[in-house]
Amino acid sequence: MLEIAIQRRQGDFTLDAEVAVPAAGVTALFGRSGAGKTTLVDCLAGLSRPDSGRIVIAGTTLFDSARGIDLPPERRRLGYVFQDARLFPHLSVEANLRYGQRRAGPGDAVASFDQVLELLELAPLLARRPAKLSGGERQRVALGRALLAQPRLLLLDEPLASLDQARKDEVLPFLERLRDEFALPMVYVSHAMPEVLRLADALVLLDRGRVAAAGPIEEILGRIDLQPLTGRYEAGAVVTASVVGQDAAFGLTRLDLAGETLWIGHIDALPDSRLRLRIRARDVAIALAPVAGVSIQNQLAGQVAEMSRDGHYVDLAIAIGSPAAGQRLWSRVTARAADQLSLAVGKPVFALVRTVAVERQGVSRRPEAAAP
Amino acid sequence: MRLVSCLPQTLLALVTAALLTSAPARAEDEITLFAAASMTDAMTDLAAAYSAAGHPSVKLAFASSSTLAKQIENGAPADLYISADLKWMDYLAERQLIVAETRSNLAGNALVLIAPLGSAQAAAADPATLDWAALLGADGKLAIGDPAHVPAGRYAKAALDFLGVWQLVESHAVFAGDVRAALTFVETDEAVAGIVYATDAAISARVAVVGSFPTASHEPIVYPIAVVAEHDRPAVRAFLDFLLSGEGARILQHYGFVVPARSS
Amino acid sequence: MLLSPDELEAFLLSLRVASIAVLVGLPPAIFCAYALARWRFPGKLLFDALVHLPLVLPPVVVGYLLLVLFGRQGPLGQFFSDWLGLTFAFSWRGAVLAAAIMGFPFQVRAIRLSLEALDPGIEAAARTLGAGRLDVLVSVTLPLILPGILAGALLCFAGAVGEFGATITFVASIPGETQTLPLAIFRAVQSPGGEAAAARLVLLSVGLALVALAASELLARRWKRRFLG
Repeated sequence: MLEIAIQRRQGDFTLDAEVAVPAAGVTALFGRSGAGKTTLVDCLAGLSRPDSGRIVIAGTTLFDSARGIDLPPERRRLGYVFQDARLFPHLSVEANLRYGQRRAGPGDAVASFDQVLELLELAPLLARRPAKLSGGERQRVALGRALLAQPRLLLLDEPLASLDQARKDEVLPFLERLRDEFALPMVYVSHAMPEVLRLADALVLLDRGRVAAAGPIEEILGRIDLQPLTGRYEAGAVVTASVVGQDAAFGLTRLDLAGETLWIGHIDALPDSRLRLRIRARDVAIALAPVAGVSIQNQLAGQVAEMSRDGHYVDLAIAIGSPAAGQRLWSRVTARAADQLSLAVGKPVFALVRTVAVERQGVSRRPEAAAP
Repeated sequence: MRLVSCLPQTLLALVTAALLTSAPARAEDEITLFAAASMTDAMTDLAAAYSAAGHPSVKLAFASSSTLAKQIENGAPADLYISADLKWMDYLAERQLIVAETRSNLAGNALVLIAPLGSAQAAAADPATLDWAALLGADGKLAIGDPAHVPAGRYAKAALDFLGVWQLVESHAVFAGDVRAALTFVETDEAVAGIVYATDAAISARVAVVGSFPTASHEPIVYPIAVVAEHDRPAVRAFLDFLLSGEGARILQHYGFVVPARSS
Repeated sequence: MLLSPDELEAFLLSLRVASIAVLVGLPPAIFCAYALARWRFPGKLLFDALVHLPLVLPPVVVGYLLLVLFGRQGPLGQFFSDWLGLTFAFSWRGAVLAAAIMGFPFQVRAIRLSLEALDPGIEAAARTLGAGRLDVLVSVTLPLILPGILAGALLCFAGAVGEFGATITFVASIPGETQTLPLAIFRAVQSPGGEAAAARLVLLSVGLALVALAASELLARRWKRRFLG
């Protein structure tokens, strides 16, 4: 558990963050530019000093202004992957990798050199200089270097932000592998929701220097009131479903979402494995009764859990299946439609989701161990 | 925008200023005197007295006689030259760089051994008979002008040679760029002793004269003066006359120089 | 063009004095450059001015100040001689000191420029990997500012080879001990008939400066090649 309660003033901007980050899994630190994400992470790493507060990780105090404790960065054992990689230009890739390893204490080993080489596919790059690497290669080396310093927690500050889409797609799987292979908690800073959805279990929302919300990702994203912070246009629910089977003939996969059946485009996954899906609110239509003679394959029974008016539109949160399962879909309809259907909280409805609308990109596997 | 429109006027102002300031440099009545370093204080006083009497100002430049001679040879704008030895005046005479008929001996000096005031070496003694080894000790330094080119240094070496102690003293000698620098080394107690002119010792409050070198031990220390070739003007002659006058002699003697009888 | 023993002596002495002056000045130059580039402290402007003082003062004035401070009777001179057995008066050590001080501003400026061009984020990254401040300095900062150090060293060396005013005022012109090339040239030029000797010595000085320039250039190129693989 990483406990943070710090305050720091920087000109007009004040950071006042109080949050507890889980001891395992990936916690995303999400917010707009200027929300204070990098400042917070720099304070965690010891590169910036808060004006007051405490930072404690697994019982070890890294910073406590009241007791005059401020561990220097080199003693905190927190790995840091920077947005601009920051490899040492005068050293080879191998020397870069070994830099942290050489300085790590005898304590708990997290990763071995060969392990990291294999995981991040760095073997062919070892003799090269950072100047001769591509952006994606540089980030992988930066990841490896941070890992080899045997940290107890990894901080990643928008590691993909400076890469183009092709490089992002190249590096993201390595991040997933990292998460799956090592029992290393990670704090992942980002303002890009797709990455967050693929990697994170927990989400901390930062807004103008303060923690607006923190908790499991589905819960946070399922709250309509937080929509302005999580991004309105691409707004959508994140749900977890389990694989039931495959329809080879039509290339579709059948999922179970809180007891309801959901068909999506083919995903290579074994039965009973869990998938996280993102379904955009504008791809969900509402019907009062199952509709016949329509192309939409998915008609999920549920009821209106929340309703919020936004000008000429209405945002709805639909609890799918049994409310106890906690899986919600969002839907955005016109106020006119809401009126015509007399939509209200508690009303039983059907959520219509087009199979085609569930994007490949929005689907990611969930590791077995993590609890939903 | 403003700057551009001001440019012609600014340029004009700058050019005018340059012309005005450069104009008087070649005025007929200003005199430039190059004199050996040991004449610094006496000449400064003499020039001041001359100006106070209503005459035009005199520009003074002091350095080792060798430096000044070389500069004159290379065209430095000196009107009058005073050397600390005959050799450098002869040097210029050979090259037709002085007005021969204006050459005369301005003053004479004595060579003395000095030590920092209050030091063990400062006790009075005769350089001809004192124990140089004891004076200098194991690693004490003797500051003199560079014998290769500084007149005071040449005289010092000649005197020490005459006394038969040059071999002994040579390893202790440090060569200064001019006689005043040698004086400074003794004043700051850097060197345990030094050899300078009597006039230099007289103006310093931080050194004590140990004794004078016998006049036989070196060539006579004579300060010849001459007008530099092609600089012969009435104003220059007037200042030369002043230096050779009774008042000039009075001021020189005040500083410890020996003034020969003048044939007026 | 054979050299007389005196001329050879002046050349070797200049070489020695200039090289040692560069080395002696380097650690304090790195320290001052670091302080000026990275730290904030009261009186920083004054400190900067002091560092640049030898650049703006007439060399003879610097020489006289050295005489007063480091001479036999000077406070620093006595400290060095009492505690470290080091004397500067009339010795090549004094010539080294004069050259080092006159060249100091050049070393500091060049190193400071290099430091300011260095991304402090790289040093921050090193700290997160477990390196303490001194470790970062040695393993990351110094290698990366090497071009600046070389440039400063070259300027200081060239300046030291040509240093005259402060040297002659502080330690006089003692053949074999403090009579460096410029002092020997001065002596030759002043002496009648010494023009030929002066010309030889001048050529030696120019040659020395050119060699230093070439060496510095070569080293800088090799460093660049290492970087870009």
